[in-house]
Amino acid sequence: MANIAAKRIKREFKEVMKSEEVAGGDIKLELVNDCWTELQGEIAGPPDTPYEGGTFLLEIKVPETYPFNPPKIRFMTKIWHPNVSSATGAICLDILKDQWAAALTLRTVLLSIQALLSAAEPNDPQDAVVAKQYRENPQLFNMTARHWTNIYAGGPTSVWEFNQKVQRLLDMGIDEHQARVALSTYDWELERATEQLFC
Amino acid sequence: MADYYQEMGWRELEDGEQPNHLLHMARFLIDCGLYEDNFTGEWPRLPPPAAKEAVNNLKEITIEDEFDKNCPICLKKFHMNDKAKEMPCQHLFHEKCIIPWLNQTNSCPFCRYELPTDDEGYEAFKKEKKRAEQRKEDLENLHNSMFS
Repeated sequence: MANIAAKRIKREFKEVMKSEEVAGGDIKLELVNDCWTELQGEIAGPPDTPYEGGTFLLEIKVPETYPFNPPKIRFMTKIWHPNVSSATGAICLDILKDQWAAALTLRTVLLSIQALLSAAEPNDPQDAVVAKQYRENPQLFNMTARHWTNIYAGGPTSVWEFNQKVQRLLDMGIDEHQARVALSTYDWELERATEQLFC
Repeated sequence: MADYYQEMGWRELEDGEQPNHLLHMARFLIDCGLYEDNFTGEWPRLPPPAAKEAVNNLKEITIEDEFDKNCPICLKKFHMNDKAKEMPCQHLFHEKCIIPWLNQTNSCPFCRYELPTDDEGYEAFKKEKKRAEQRKEDLENLHNSMFS
């Protein structure tokens, strides 16, 4: 790995560890390997959002050309959000693409991702299905996001009705996550989800 | 007339130079009212490198006292007698840090202040965007003067 990238990540790592966001439990950063090319981030779901109470893990890959190019970041924890792919965890955020600036750091990027959870950009979606639900059925979107936070990120709100529906599909021999995706996609209409799974 | 050309960002063709047909096509489409949305949006990729001249003309500063400031790119502290490059927005960087960045894109890594570029297409885009904003403001003023 290029010298400047590794050196900078080391400095950033120290800076993050001393930051008040780490002290306050908003964000966390851990090393994955010894050569500073891969890290694991963690952000807390912001209050007053469906993600509240959840803990979301992020995979961070630092390119050799860092900080002249942005780090590659994706959600490892499954999440229901218009700007995050529900399948791959890929994030649609301008500063991770064409709005990257070399003065941005892992700390500011993690905080931006946390802010994205509070304020989605449905007009620039990563996941078209989620974005459509967000626009057309905000209440159902909220419930779905809360349910995903409960199941995958340790959030506190269990949605009884949704759990029942997932269980129904489980009883039919469908894989649990697949069942949840189908139900979330078809606005929790059991019939349509089943139809799609068995066609 | 010269002013008009300048305002539109046009110049005469050099000997043997062919017109940029794609650029003309784009201007034509914009003039017809197509693609208007492009100018409320952003440049679709990282803006082009800063102009060579602008980079060469950056002020060089010798750090004269120890102050608690980092170069925003490598995050190392500036020390006494270090050489630093100053952007027009007054942000300081090590030369070896800022030059690779400006060879890639034209803005200050700290505040996004934009240096000029050598990219004709991008400069035209910026100019058109500015004009679109001006038009919007004029229209707003006109509206306010009529209805308030």
